[in-house]
Amino acid sequence: MTAPNAPVTTPTTPSSEAESPDTRAKRGLATADLITIGVFSALYFVMVCIATLVSTLFTGGFGSIFLPAIAALISGPVFMLLDARLRKFGGITVMGLVIGLFLFVSGHFALSFVASIVFPLAADLIARAGAYRNKVLLLVSYVVFSYGLTGPILPLWFMKDAYVASLEARGKDAAYIDGVFANINMGTFVLAMVAILVCALIGGWFGQRLMRKHFVKAGIA
Amino acid sequence: MGLDPRAKLYLLLLANLMLFFHVGLVTQIVMVVLFLTPLAAAGRLRMAARFAVLYAALTALGMLDPDAMGVPQLHVVAALAVGVSMMLPCFMTGAYAFTTTSASAFVCAMRRMRVPETVVIPCVVIIRFFPTILPDYRRIREAMALRGIASGAFAWIRHPAQSLEYVVVPLLMNATTVAQDLSVAALTKGLGRKGAHTSRTAIRMRAADWVMMSAATAPLVLDIAGVI
Repeated sequence: MTAPNAPVTTPTTPSSEAESPDTRAKRGLATADLITIGVFSALYFVMVCIATLVSTLFTGGFGSIFLPAIAALISGPVFMLLDARLRKFGGITVMGLVIGLFLFVSGHFALSFVASIVFPLAADLIARAGAYRNKVLLLVSYVVFSYGLTGPILPLWFMKDAYVASLEARGKDAAYIDGVFANINMGTFVLAMVAILVCALIGGWFGQRLMRKHFVKAGIA
Repeated sequence: MGLDPRAKLYLLLLANLMLFFHVGLVTQIVMVVLFLTPLAAAGRLRMAARFAVLYAALTALGMLDPDAMGVPQLHVVAALAVGVSMMLPCFMTGAYAFTTTSASAFVCAMRRMRVPETVVIPCVVIIRFFPTILPDYRRIREAMALRGIASGAFAWIRHPAQSLEYVVVPLLMNATTVAQDLSVAALTKGLGRKGAHTSRTAIRMRAADWVMMSAATAPLVLDIAGVI
């Protein structure tokens, strides 16, 4: 692929992506790279949708607490193949960013945007440290990337504040309110975070195993 | 007659700000009515009605006083109702933006807002590629059934890892091929060219957009200022 489209460098939009000083590649992300990112982001978005569905099914009303964990469990192969196909800085970041954008437009909380920029960027830097080939660093990168999806579950903590506010407005005292929420929130929060870690490790390992088993042989990765 | 995509994004932003600032109940109701008006005007009457009923029901549930009724367990229900009804405006505006905007209008709006091509191009690809994934998945399942691998509704539960492998690998193989094809097609059509791109879809901010935007901003500002 990478057709001989010589002058096609990244559109020279200033600002935003400070990743133009690309390391090994002579140029930044070419249009072909961006299209590859788009295709893999679409697959990743499908995984996120499936995760939303499963998470809602299992946890009922609390909806998306385990969304990031389930997404991390199943989208390892997508992430690993994207890295193998691209091997350039920016791919992981743009994927996270675009997913964040889609989540925002489909009605998720705007703050989720922050998570979906910061974590993928960090993941990208980690993967770059291993030149997108180091297995261990890729796995770490995937774990960090998985935390980028914590954005959609942040409203749960806002919801708590809202309910507390509405209780206070009705004249309940603080001790009582604490009692209602004592063990629900910190516990579930920690649980959700640990679940992401474990699931991302399993998912990333699974992805790397699939890479070795299928894609390296087929000459795709 | 729909609003401009940028106006829709602005409404979405307002809905998020509402969540952020914990607006009062009156403001919330006013805003919900304002958000549902364009949805109904765009011909999505049934969707608007559903949202309205859901919002009303949740608000009513949230007003329950579990202690007065002597059932403290109801706090869980009431808390959930308050939480969900707070997030509902986001979903309303999100559904409005998603179901009433064509792909080309969305792209055109992003270009007008000076979103870098690094973001625009992947978005275009997602919008085009996304609908093809489900048919692909069906074909894969048919092929698997033909060979008697992990067929049937319970296969996903009995062999989750194996099923995932057998589905994801063909999908990813296909994705790499599609990425190449799309690159060739898009470069032929000049997507890689520098400079401004023209669009067949024209978008323009009309009076209705400005009216809607200011009408929706007013209650929020008044609430934050403490007037309502």
